Amino acid sequence: MKNAVKIKSNKFGITIVLDQEIPFEELKEKVAEKFREAAGFFGSVQMAVSLEGRTLSEEEQWEILDSVTENSQIQIVCIVDSDEEKAESFRQSMNHKLNELSAQNGQFYKGMLRSGQVLETETSIVILGDVNPGAKIVSKGNIIILGALKGIAYAGAAGNGSAFVVALEMNPCQIRIADVIARSSDERKKIDKEPKIAFIENGNIYIEPLSRDILKIIH
Amino acid sequence: MSEVIVVTSGKGGVGKTTTSANVGTGLAKLDKRVVLIDTDIGLRNLDVVMGLENRIVYNLVDVIEGNCRMKQALIKDKRYPNLCLLPSAQTRDKSSVTPEQMKKLTEELREEYDYIILDCPAGIEQGFKNAIAGADRAIIVTTPEVSAIRDADRIIGLLEANELKRTDLIVNRIRMDMVKRGDMMSIADVVDILGIDLIGAVPDDESIVISTNQGEPLVGDDSLAGQAFMNICYRVMGEEVPWLDLSGKSSLWSKISDIFKKK
Repeated sequence: MKNAVKIKSNKFGITIVLDQEIPFEELKEKVAEKFREAAGFFGSVQMAVSLEGRTLSEEEQWEILDSVTENSQIQIVCIVDSDEEKAESFRQSMNHKLNELSAQNGQFYKGMLRSGQVLETETSIVILGDVNPGAKIVSKGNIIILGALKGIAYAGAAGNGSAFVVALEMNPCQIRIADVIARSSDERKKIDKEPKIAFIENGNIYIEPLSRDILKIIH
Repeated sequence: MSEVIVVTSGKGGVGKTTTSANVGTGLAKLDKRVVLIDTDIGLRNLDVVMGLENRIVYNLVDVIEGNCRMKQALIKDKRYPNLCLLPSAQTRDKSSVTPEQMKKLTEELREEYDYIILDCPAGIEQGFKNAIAGADRAIIVTTPEVSAIRDADRIIGLLEANELKRTDLIVNRIRMDMVKRGDMMSIADVVDILGIDLIGAVPDDESIVISTNQGEPLVGDDSLAGQAFMNICYRVMGEEVPWLDLSGKSSLWSKISDIFKKK
């Protein structure tokens, strides 16, 4: 019996296509075998798994999943049904989880970002240096600039509306948070060199001095 | 009938971007539908000179690669609703675009605009080839310096080889006081060397620096350079305009007579 178990990749992780003919015990063995082979390929990853091709009882489902985790280093974050509605709700919870992760973890960069340079990170980022006009930082989490922000900062790039941007000198060309874009005003104003924070409230981006009261509002 | 005009020079720093911004804005002032395209991929600055940098979301390369629609990338000018800017990408390089793609892009824009003005990068490499690909005519910008003129001459030769219908000359940054002392080539000298039609001469004017830094093109204002650029716009449209006295020593009498002339 060839190809009783097939692994396909999808947006969130993998789909395991199971044969519906062969006895369950045999199928379980095939799954174990398949994942033993593929363990090296997948390595240690977290992913979502969906099962297709065969109707399984809850118990059987667990057995299959156990056999996957036992035979590889894959950590199954959750199981996805192929049905659309569930996939959507799953996508949301996955994004939420990712957003949380990217906001909580951080990276550090020392140096000056110059025109034409783009720094993209999956996590929050702290920059020790200036971000010049024409330079861009994209982060799925928060952006904290210990220097002047004169270019473009894009926080919460995966859609996290609670992300924020902090800079010691806030003079950005553009700030984007999630799907909101704010641009600098066309009048030339004197920029006061005090630390400021940009965040979304009611669908708009606000820039406020970094005070204790403001920090209370931001979660 | 729409026209695609490339503003080029060969040498850098002679005023291509300033000219593009002012001619584009001037034509828009004269109620033409104008789109300015910055073809200097990787070293854009037409957006800065136009004061539109903070509005950029998509750019030329995004349009060409199909990441967005043309309408999304075109930035409407803050002063004239009939003027648009297509900014270039800052994080890419000239090889991101081919001459064929530029040609297609300009063809698409012809339908909706009277003038499509391409700000060409310095040099004669890929960026230059991209910029001239879709152009009907060219405006050559030069300064009265031998190095700039040498490069302009080379460019004119390349344009002729590409069979552009028309090339016109702008002599930029001229200083009449130096010309009078014999320390600078006169406009006539430059035209004589290059042998193409003169479409305008722009004096070396402090107000240009100020306008560039503020992101507000000065075309059409009272400054000598502003008037010179406005005259260029009329000539681009094919109108005959008298030549401006660039000596800059506008006496009280000439100012008064100007007022009467306007009436």
